[in-house]
Amino acid sequence: MSENRKTNPFAPFLSALGRALGMPALALLTAFIIGAIVILLTSGDLLAAPTAYWGLIRGALFKQRGLSESLVASIPYVLLSLGLSVGFKSGLFNIGVEGQFYIGALCAAWAGQITTGLPAIIHLPLALLAGAIGGAIWAGVPGYLKMRTGAHEVISTMMMNYVAFRLTEYVITDKLRDVNSTTIQTPSVSPAAELWTFAAIPQRLQDPLNALGVALVLALLTALVVRALADRPDWKAKLGARRGLAIGGSGLLAGLIAFVALPLLTNAWWPFTDAYDRLHTGLIMAVLAAVGVWWLMEKTTPGFELRTVGANPNAARYAGMNITRNVVLAMAISGGLAGLAGTIEVLGVSICRCLPLFFSSGYGFDSIAISLLARNDPFGILAASFLFGAMRNGADLMELSSGVSKYIISLIQALALLFVAAPAIVRWMYRMKAPAGEEKQAPLTRGWGG
Amino acid sequence: MDTSIRKDRLLSQKWLRTLINLGGVLLALVIAWELLNLVIGRQCDGKCITDTLSQMLRVATPIAFAAFCGVVCERAGVVDIGIEGKMLTAAMVAYAVNLFSYQWLQSMMEASAAGTLSRWLALLVGILAALLLALLHAVSSIRFKIDQIISGTVINILALGVTGYFYRQFLAENLPAGPGTFPKIVIPFLADIPVLGPILFRQQPLTYIMILLAFLLHYVLFYTPWGLRTRAVGEHPRAADTLGIDVLKMRYTNVLIGGLIAGLGGVWFTLEAVDVFNPMMTNGLGFIGLAAMIFGKWMPFGALIGALIFGLGNSLTTTVSIYRPDLPSQIPQMLPYLLTIAVLTGVVGRAAPPAADGQAYEKQ
Amino acid sequence: MTIALQATGITKRFPGVLANDHVNFTLKQGEIHALLGENGAGKSTLMNILYGLYQPDEGEILLNGQRIQITSPHDAIAQGIGMVHQHFMLVPPLTVTENIMLGQESIQAGSQALGPLALLDRRSVAKRIRELSQRYGLAVDPDATVQDLTVGAQQRVEIVKALYREAQILILDEPTAVLTPQEADDLFVILRNLVAQGKSIIFITHKLREVFAVADQISVMRAGKMAGSVQPAQATRELLAEMMVGRAVILTIDKTDANPANVVLQVENLRVQDDRRHTVVNDISLSVRAGEILGIAGVQGNGQTELTEALTGLRKVVGGQVTILSQDTTHVMPRQISEAGVSHVPEDRHKHGLVLSFSLRDNFVLCTYYQPPFAKGIEIDFPVLEENARKLIKMFDVRTPGASTSAGSLSGGNQQKVIIARELSRPVKLLIASQPTRGLDVGSIEFIHRRIVEARDQGAAVLLISAELDEIMSLSDRIAVMYKGHILSTLDASTATREQLGLLMAGIGGAEPHAPAQRSGNNRRNGPDSPLEAMNV
Repeated sequence: MSENRKTNPFAPFLSALGRALGMPALALLTAFIIGAIVILLTSGDLLAAPTAYWGLIRGALFKQRGLSESLVASIPYVLLSLGLSVGFKSGLFNIGVEGQFYIGALCAAWAGQITTGLPAIIHLPLALLAGAIGGAIWAGVPGYLKMRTGAHEVISTMMMNYVAFRLTEYVITDKLRDVNSTTIQTPSVSPAAELWTFAAIPQRLQDPLNALGVALVLALLTALVVRALADRPDWKAKLGARRGLAIGGSGLLAGLIAFVALPLLTNAWWPFTDAYDRLHTGLIMAVLAAVGVWWLMEKTTPGFELRTVGANPNAARYAGMNITRNVVLAMAISGGLAGLAGTIEVLGVSICRCLPLFFSSGYGFDSIAISLLARNDPFGILAASFLFGAMRNGADLMELSSGVSKYIISLIQALALLFVAAPAIVRWMYRMKAPAGEEKQAPLTRGWGG
Repeated sequence: MDTSIRKDRLLSQKWLRTLINLGGVLLALVIAWELLNLVIGRQCDGKCITDTLSQMLRVATPIAFAAFCGVVCERAGVVDIGIEGKMLTAAMVAYAVNLFSYQWLQSMMEASAAGTLSRWLALLVGILAALLLALLHAVSSIRFKIDQIISGTVINILALGVTGYFYRQFLAENLPAGPGTFPKIVIPFLADIPVLGPILFRQQPLTYIMILLAFLLHYVLFYTPWGLRTRAVGEHPRAADTLGIDVLKMRYTNVLIGGLIAGLGGVWFTLEAVDVFNPMMTNGLGFIGLAAMIFGKWMPFGALIGALIFGLGNSLTTTVSIYRPDLPSQIPQMLPYLLTIAVLTGVVGRAAPPAADGQAYEKQ
Repeated sequence: MTIALQATGITKRFPGVLANDHVNFTLKQGEIHALLGENGAGKSTLMNILYGLYQPDEGEILLNGQRIQITSPHDAIAQGIGMVHQHFMLVPPLTVTENIMLGQESIQAGSQALGPLALLDRRSVAKRIRELSQRYGLAVDPDATVQDLTVGAQQRVEIVKALYREAQILILDEPTAVLTPQEADDLFVILRNLVAQGKSIIFITHKLREVFAVADQISVMRAGKMAGSVQPAQATRELLAEMMVGRAVILTIDKTDANPANVVLQVENLRVQDDRRHTVVNDISLSVRAGEILGIAGVQGNGQTELTEALTGLRKVVGGQVTILSQDTTHVMPRQISEAGVSHVPEDRHKHGLVLSFSLRDNFVLCTYYQPPFAKGIEIDFPVLEENARKLIKMFDVRTPGASTSAGSLSGGNQQKVIIARELSRPVKLLIASQPTRGLDVGSIEFIHRRIVEARDQGAAVLLISAELDEIMSLSDRIAVMYKGHILSTLDASTATREQLGLLMAGIGGAEPHAPAQRSGNNRRNGPDSPLEAMNV
């Protein structure tokens, strides 16, 4: 297709910029520019947009606890977007992450309050697991229905969203209501099931059982890192047969050191002061989840299967892969991550450490934009999630300082999504040429039937 | 010979299918009736029945519009899951126009005339807003060939952003009283027919428009060059192209017409249902409309029947909540959504979509 | 004879390809002009230009001596040019009448004012169709739904569609690809009938036999250029073949006699249904031994696809038994069959054979990614994958910039080589090759044929399914003919003749009793029936 329009004199420059930062950055920039125009048109004030955007930045980064709150807001985004990206890569559009988020929250709220007698080392993983499983089932069912009956996941998971909303509402008001509270909410979870905040880590570590849990996690992580390093050619030659010993030994050593030293060390010096009393360890889980999803999708045979199923299900079947199992697996992983996000909101974010009736998230739709913005790359998702978390967090101060409704943020995010989904539109706006050999995403629309 | 026998068999199958369908609908009604009695203990009298059925038709209206939008788009090969967003936007715009034009018109004419005028003005502007979003969907999915599901999702998110922003910025508080919703139009004589009269002929204008539209769409799709070309473009666009039909133009116009129809569904929320706007008010009805379309096998009357079933589910919920306020309302509220999933799974019957549904057309 | 259509100096460039290079072409009034050429020679491009689907970069077209511009199919139709495409341009759920009137609908009197929303007049169109079908001997039922029609009948609808638009010049693109030799002969009768009544016909094909049977004039294209134009009387098969390929072609492949050993594949009374639950493989029994090639001949759509899918575990078996190396594989998953030593070159390389967006590296291990040495536990060893890809690219002469290139960016021939490389690079006990050279150039065809014979010589059993009779005849040791889900007869390849096979492909003769034909109402994939039979309507 030849463009007869006059080429923009800035086109070469913009192309270079687009290549350097990638189309997503340009899309985002364009969205902000259009957002500014909308603000200008609706307020009639030339300064409104700069004031608003400056307020947004201040609120997101510089105000009291700004950065901490931005990080808190980005944690669910990371998990939900990772979930969506697993779906996208497997050829599935799990538009129902919002519902899975609710179900995860509900399951966690239930699992967190069943008893107060368990130690954190058991109860916290249990609550996390409950939320993840809840989300996984909520997403797995539409996945199974898609394979067995051809029900398209976009509509069925969307419907599951509404069912999840009503179900949550019903359980909170009728079945799991905290009778001692004036507001309608579930009982607070046991302190042992709470997610630790960064500020509280030194204090938590004083309990030897907690220290043991942390030591176990650290030992495992160290062993995994050493294992990954041990596969490098130079290390491989040096280690030879002692590979297993090196991995096990380093893990054990790290665990021991952590168990003995961490409680003492953190007690003596800890950088996260009270300003981080809302930032919780879900952040670490989110980063680990990103690494885990990357490893699963790019480095393993199940990931290879999922990607094959997503790119060409017929070829996957020909290659002997079980499509049904893979689709259900992809949906379950996707929903599990979404459920985990909901769990974290209950165990680590909500003030009451419970599930209140008026629990609205709106994270789900934003996450679609994030995963597309990041092109389903786990590390891109970390960055884009922080951006969206920061915008969400900064929006309040923006509204306060400029009078521009904070909902302008969703408008900007929607535009960013549009431009990312259609780089052709951005190219057309800036009169840029299409790059050679543009990547094509496998179509999500394969009709409504199976 | 050979061919005529085949035709006879097809004909009888068609009759059989219609009979089975009718039987299915009757069975569903009987089951619904028994369920209702089971829950509310045979308290439903004649008025309760006509109220429930009249409410069914009322609630089916936006679902049917959404389903018609789906039929018009998908028959031409464009999947539109942005119906929800279009309806939400139309609802908000219609609400705002109704309110503000009423303030302005009141200074020029008497209140009732101003109310009527502003409502129709709101209807017009509301569907134009939906048309704008449909244009976006058309451009991005037909010209730029974005995946149609993604494009529809963008529309939905964009609509949430736009309506959220304008609602908070301008419509959230300190509003003067508006002119209210469309009054019921009682059709003379027909409205006095027992049972049928109150159900069919005491409705608000959009409901009548919806029913007329079903007939119109059926005629257009199956009896006119336009419909023939639309179906050809949705089934085998390349074939249509080789006969000199402009595939892209057909798709553009169909998506835009679909947008207008979705807009009618949207303005129903603020011009017929209630006199307020809230950012969550479409409540997934656009998606339910798609399910009604699938249930109706991409036929206008089929879609209408699908919409009526969803409407019935909804009105039964209302009836139950009147007689049994002690029951938790959330459980019956889940029904339409579960029903939608059931429709998709084919429990309630499913046919093949148009063959080129959802695929961008690339000219050679 | 007057000149009906003349194209001079037609040039058309696509990114990276010169599809037509100053092509001259002259069609006389009332002749059947065969346009011969290999896949990719530029025949279809030239015809698409004449039909307005492409615009030429250079050159001009004269119709009845007048220079014309054809910017769209609409223009072509208006100028009296009609085209029957290789893949029929019919809308399956619409009726014959609707398909024919589409784009030129006739409107009931009195409703014209409604424009595009006027009332269709189906009756007058149906009447006109009946007239046309009688005049030209084309049996067509205006009220039938196209998806219920056989392939032959659909082709007649396409011709009527062009005649309805008053086409004087008819372009037929590979019209015999889906017909049996006998059906093709019937088509030729129809074409003769058409030219007798003043129409002119361009007949595109790559089959030498047909041009001698029907053409008044033969033009040959090669690599985008017009290689020459001759009359059938002055041409020989060898001459035309050389014009097509540019060098003398070896029409047969060197191979020694087969040394059949133990039975590898044993199929007994197999029954398989298609997606619409019609039995399309009906009671088939066959066996293939190690070291021999069994060719399955037959017109497309006679159950070959479903047979292959059933053997490889991709389709459910309804009845009968499949045994591979004395292991019952009737109801097992595709993976178990592949692990039993079965390699499968699928019919549709884009749909099944490759993941186009994946790199060659990944496509090479599509079926073995989970086995050592490619995977350790659940982790994939990517350096090993790279090494494997480099090795196969070299061994199988895949022309690619590198192992990380996506499969989708390769040419069809190279894509097929990737599949062959993958399937032959693991221990092969049984090779099932379905249409292995469809749509490829002569060079790739020769390469792939040699590899298939090599696999046989190394002791693999080979089941070759192909609609190309030449391919079947030159590769097979034994030939089975499939017709409407049955194997009609199995012949020794060294004694079988083309005529014998052609008759069998049309369902005539054969050892097995003639079972009732499977032809039910809405089966899109029906085998073609004979137009003669349908003309009795």
